[in-house]
Amino acid sequence: MSQIVEAGVAPNLIASERAGLLAWVASVDHKQIGILYIISSMLFFLIGGIEALVIRLQLLAPGLHIISPDTFDQMFTMHGTTMIFLFVMPMLTGFSTYVVPLMIGARDMAFPRLNAMSFWIQLFGGVILYFSFLAGGAPNAGWFSYTPLSEKAYSSLAGVDYWIIGIACIGIGTLAAGINFVVTIICLRVEGLTIRRLPLFVWMTLVNSFLMIGALPLLNAALAILLVDRFFNAHVFDPAGGGSALLWQHYFWAFGHPEVYIMILPAFGIISEVIPVFSRKPIYGYEFVAASTVAIAFLSFTVWAHHMFAVGMSHIANLAFGISSMLIAVPTGVKIFNWTATMYGGRIRFTTAMMFAVAFLITFTIGGLSGVSFAVFPLDWQLTDTYYLVAHFHYVLFGGSVFGIFAGFYYWFPKFSGRMMSERLGAWHFWLTFIGFNLTFFIQHVLGLAGMPRRVFTYPDLPGWAAMNLISSIGAFMLGISVLVFLWAIFDGLANGDEAGDNPWDAWTLEWATTSPPPPENFDRVPPVRGRRPLWDLAHPDRADEKVASA
Amino acid sequence: MHLLPTFAPASPQAHALTTLFIGVLIVLGAIFLLVTGLVIFMIVRFRDRPGAPEARQIFGWTALEVAWTLIPFGILAVFSVFMTFADHVADPMVPAGRKPDLEVIGHQWWWEINYPDSGVVAANEVHIPVGKAILIELKSADVIHDFWAPELGRKIDAVPGHPNTLWIEADAPGTYLGTCAEFCGVEHAWMRFRVIAQNEPDFDAWQRAQLAVPSTPSAPDGLAGARLFTDKTCVNCHAVAGTVANQTVGPDLTHIASREMLAGEAAKNTPDELFQWLKDPNAIKPDSHMPDFKLSDDEAHQLVAYLEGLK
Amino acid sequence: MISIRERGKIAVGLFIFSEINFFLLLIIAYVYYHSLPGPGPTAATALNPMRTGMFSLALFASSATIWMASRASRRPDSRGLAMWLSFTIALGVLFMFGQAREYYDLIASGVTVSRNLFATTFFTLTGFHGLHVMVGLVALSITLGLARAGKLHEHTTDGFGAVEWYWHFVDAVWVVVFSVVYLWGAVAS
Repeated sequence: MSQIVEAGVAPNLIASERAGLLAWVASVDHKQIGILYIISSMLFFLIGGIEALVIRLQLLAPGLHIISPDTFDQMFTMHGTTMIFLFVMPMLTGFSTYVVPLMIGARDMAFPRLNAMSFWIQLFGGVILYFSFLAGGAPNAGWFSYTPLSEKAYSSLAGVDYWIIGIACIGIGTLAAGINFVVTIICLRVEGLTIRRLPLFVWMTLVNSFLMIGALPLLNAALAILLVDRFFNAHVFDPAGGGSALLWQHYFWAFGHPEVYIMILPAFGIISEVIPVFSRKPIYGYEFVAASTVAIAFLSFTVWAHHMFAVGMSHIANLAFGISSMLIAVPTGVKIFNWTATMYGGRIRFTTAMMFAVAFLITFTIGGLSGVSFAVFPLDWQLTDTYYLVAHFHYVLFGGSVFGIFAGFYYWFPKFSGRMMSERLGAWHFWLTFIGFNLTFFIQHVLGLAGMPRRVFTYPDLPGWAAMNLISSIGAFMLGISVLVFLWAIFDGLANGDEAGDNPWDAWTLEWATTSPPPPENFDRVPPVRGRRPLWDLAHPDRADEKVASA
Repeated sequence: MHLLPTFAPASPQAHALTTLFIGVLIVLGAIFLLVTGLVIFMIVRFRDRPGAPEARQIFGWTALEVAWTLIPFGILAVFSVFMTFADHVADPMVPAGRKPDLEVIGHQWWWEINYPDSGVVAANEVHIPVGKAILIELKSADVIHDFWAPELGRKIDAVPGHPNTLWIEADAPGTYLGTCAEFCGVEHAWMRFRVIAQNEPDFDAWQRAQLAVPSTPSAPDGLAGARLFTDKTCVNCHAVAGTVANQTVGPDLTHIASREMLAGEAAKNTPDELFQWLKDPNAIKPDSHMPDFKLSDDEAHQLVAYLEGLK
Repeated sequence: MISIRERGKIAVGLFIFSEINFFLLLIIAYVYYHSLPGPGPTAATALNPMRTGMFSLALFASSATIWMASRASRRPDSRGLAMWLSFTIALGVLFMFGQAREYYDLIASGVTVSRNLFATTFFTLTGFHGLHVMVGLVALSITLGLARAGKLHEHTTDGFGAVEWYWHFVDAVWVVVFSVVYLWGAVAS
């Protein structure tokens, strides 16, 4: 039996002896906090989804007056802010919070109370953000709040202030979570689990945490200055007072670009677990998948101004950021090739998790390739700020992060709940999502090429625009239905699902070496770790990974 | 307008971008087909079925990793070369001492266009002579806007405090639609514009007409409208050459009747739609800065008569 | 594998890395607007590097006293620990007093946060630094309280180590801010 490292916190602080709702509020157990993250993220996913449906309803046909332009602006601002800060990030953080300590054979995170704080301050930030609806209107200057539009002169109501404070809270929680993950992963690994044997989901969480630690403070600095501008009548980002509107953009995107990698790396980690398990073989090129992740993390801090190719920077600046942005495509491509090669020679089982993982390979590639067309900066001059851009980021965020989230959800649901989800309902969810998603967003590439700018509450009846918007809106409503099926599948699984057992997928990482759900102390005993797939090594001692590799 | 203006370039600048795009699209398309093809091959060939062999426990192959790192790297290096050519054509350096042909100022939510050489002042409708590279100096009076006529060239932001320059050109006479392409507030959607490229003689005639000072209206309706224009405080925001109205808060109306569209293209310039606009601006362009003056039908008709006379 | 017993210091180390990025953007804003000429007060006209320098010496000295405190804690010498911690806090309070005096004088003479871009970036940068000093003083006071109650021992030296690193960081930030704002800013105008 391997040595479980002392968490350094008195055990009775981890497992709460109280029952009921209060136990959940007071909990510092990483498994409960993980569930809290997942539940609150799901709620915000639904709210953000409704905001999207309102947008697509208004854009169903040209010249509609279903909502006012100002309401429309609040909708797209809140949709973006919610999906990024209150759904994708916390959902992935929730998965990491639940799974990472288990994967490394630990009893909990290094700082259980800090862990709880991260969750609650994130939720608090979300509540503050949504309170704005009751306080004069939600923020309506877009999810990146360009100045001077977001300065007091042009946004005199409090919406932008709630946005600032809301995401500042979320940023602080995320920063604390990042610190917690790094310390947990470097200090609490069970004996035998060297860095080179880390499951890729843990590795991605580790690298991602450094991104969080490096990028969120940049956002906080920008927010602090914007708050000073708005509250104290200053003009740091306001040209009317001698300030610079572009400085806000540089500051925001210095955070904003690493931010999108913060949203995708954990999803990469999920794919790196799901594809090998359901192909029944190890990940292809582990070292290259891991190393390319580090490359992406470093490069992500060098590309930010590719969001600013249209603002009139110098030729040299455009060239430099164009090249760095193209460069970052290389390590990403390496991963896609490795995941695909993992399936080679496999024995692929099409569980719902695997279907989302395979679909991810295709949709994320589309998003990544359209991203390359932006990196070629003269093309950006035609494509940016149009629906082509909206298509691009939805392909990487929905087709990437969200498909990864769904894969992780179906993969780990049995571990979290002790029950299996219905594969039949899962298949319905998958196909409705896959078709609905592509219907909604593929046509938006064409809409952008047709000249439709983004963030418009209506549009003229130009050739093709009405038809393309209609198709996109139909797709969106199909996605809405797919989410209802997902909810149904979750509740059905909880109520009627078969008992999962410890390891329903016959997977190989340590979370599957304990009960479903795990007991408060996580493990009765941790199996010996002598490779990247401890449970494979246990079941096949003659063909243990590192034995084979060194042969 | 062509269905896909990004593929219907009407200027050398736009042409360079379209050519680059087609080249890049072909390469990206090929990569997409390769990846998708491989994925589909894998899931079909290696799916679990009765009698399928056990999965082969392979860990990787370094040579392959190097190959699929270097090849994309090479492709991107090629892109880099071509993109510098396109940059050169689509956004050439402004020669020292070259003055802009047009000064375009973005406002919430309309475009002010000034012709420094001739002194013409226009709004929302940009006239240019065919076949000449036109240098635009782009500014903003308030928030960040973006000037984008896809068939004629790149888009570029109008940033307050940071003037930009933009080259556009038209190979042939025609109307080229454009729009503001940076979210600038509630009526961003209706900050559209059009560029009308004309042969040299027609363009000169247009400029002369734009410089002409409108005479006092003769018909009673028009005369009444002219008086209302002052009484109803239109003069506080708009300018009409030859009258006391000289403000630039709103678009210059000296030759409003010569334009095809109204209100950032939210309405067509017909007497009917102009009447609707004056009676209830919020119905056409909600929350625009044009106030609702609660005009009676008669007053509105008289103003329309006056304005439609400003050719 | 790094021992879990070092977790406090590692966490603060990571936090320091994030705070460096935070202050970096505030410093860049200050430097950027310093290079753009504009009306109103400037570092050269509004600031008093000599006086602020004196109070800065107090902050720099407090890094030395906290180092003495950590040496005392390792001996272990609980009376020495409490003494040096008290000195550290006192020096920190002295620095904050100097900051408060400076802010008061500036505001009284019309240099308010919205006066011009120099003033805004000056107050934002030094203000956030002051906030960090105050948080440090709170942490130091808690540490002092624990020390005097005899609760600082082997299990909590990691916590003290974390506070120490944080305090040195706050000091290091001030070295940079003082150099950029008071020395360079007041000279290169």
